[in-house]
Amino acid sequence: MERIPILKLGDVLLVSIQVDMHDRLAMALQDDVTNRVVKDRAKGVLIDISSLEMVDSFIGRMLGGIAKMTRALGAETVVVGMRPAVAITIVELGVALEHIHTALNVDQGLKQLRDLIAAGRDDDGHAQRQS
Amino acid sequence: MRLASQPGALNDLIATNNLLDQLGLHTLEVFQKSQDAVIRRQQAEMLELSTPVVKIWDGILVLPLIGTLDSARTQVVMENLLQAIVETESAVAIIDITGVPTVDTLVAQHLLKTVAATRLMGAQCVISGIRPQIAQTMVHLGVAFGDVVTKSSLADALAFAFRQRGILISRGPDRT
Amino acid sequence: MPSANPEVLPLRSSEDVVALRHAVRRRSIEVKLSLVDQTKLVTAASELGRNTVDYGGGGTVQIETVSNGARMGIRLIFEDHGPGIPDIELALRDGYTTGGGLGLGLGGARRLVNEFHIESTVGVGTRVLIARWR
Repeated sequence: MERIPILKLGDVLLVSIQVDMHDRLAMALQDDVTNRVVKDRAKGVLIDISSLEMVDSFIGRMLGGIAKMTRALGAETVVVGMRPAVAITIVELGVALEHIHTALNVDQGLKQLRDLIAAGRDDDGHAQRQS
Repeated sequence: MRLASQPGALNDLIATNNLLDQLGLHTLEVFQKSQDAVIRRQQAEMLELSTPVVKIWDGILVLPLIGTLDSARTQVVMENLLQAIVETESAVAIIDITGVPTVDTLVAQHLLKTVAATRLMGAQCVISGIRPQIAQTMVHLGVAFGDVVTKSSLADALAFAFRQRGILISRGPDRT
Repeated sequence: MPSANPEVLPLRSSEDVVALRHAVRRRSIEVKLSLVDQTKLVTAASELGRNTVDYGGGGTVQIETVSNGARMGIRLIFEDHGPGIPDIELALRDGYTTGGGLGLGLGGARRLVNEFHIESTVGVGTRVLIARWR
């Protein structure tokens, strides 16, 4: 089974979902992202879903799951590029995604991640040292 | 032409007549379909014209709603707003309902769904022009306005939008 | 080339659900549903297709382009011979979970379509019909 590629850009992981995912692939992505956050000591994850023409409850829960898991691992996730038709459908379907950070595109998403990461550091009272 | 002397000719004549009738009917149907298509297109264009989305600043859109809203119209208008948000990459959209006399539950729900959809897309939607009467109706109808940012005036919504975008407006030196 | 009318697809794996999404999208475009309506129908099909695979023990879906004179539409019929749903009313309510704890999502799927009919008998199977019109 092919996996969705994850790129590292400094302390941020970039995931661009370009294919129509079957459930197993979606679950594999969730595993891969969480493993990479730990392995690469990532502070942020950016998931680009601008190519997705459909997000159903399973994929929605997968995205929400990634957000929760990465937060537990000390990293923030931002989902970018959700299409209007997809957003309207998710709202009608009733998938609970209120807790995820979102941005219109990769640029705005990276900026938001920078702000979230900086805010995370401020909360600690001092910068985290990468040991 | 004398039909009696040409036995097959009558059949040919009938067949030709039928063919011409069918052609006429087909032409009529095609004409009607193209007319229907024209009417539908004009209606869609009128709908778009009557509810323009205005880009009032870099990254800020305003949708001034005027007149009575029905469910169908509200849906189309909201879809247009979401599309405009994507196309202009605007992080803040203001829906101003100052010019809307009454808002029923269905329309209120559409507004809330639009706010929710905007957030999922990565932008923020503010509803301005909420009059006390509308606010009361909302509460009575049990509409949950929980996380939705609402302002009573478009001016307040605009000030909010500027703050969100980190834009500071300052007065220049006094020109007297 | 227009889709065959009707077509029956197997629903035995999650890959089958992906194939179903594509088939529904193709038909929706042929019938000229708006983009939002297309997305709603494809999403509803995905939800119900998943139910058939995960809870129904596998089954089939019949996709048909239909017309009621003036309007064109798409109808899907999901069928399985699985355990069936004991309390349909309960299953239609949002947030209801069964077995795996993730829920059937029937209530949500119903909101995405114009027509929704469900029949289910415990120990026999489940049949769900949905349709979306232009």
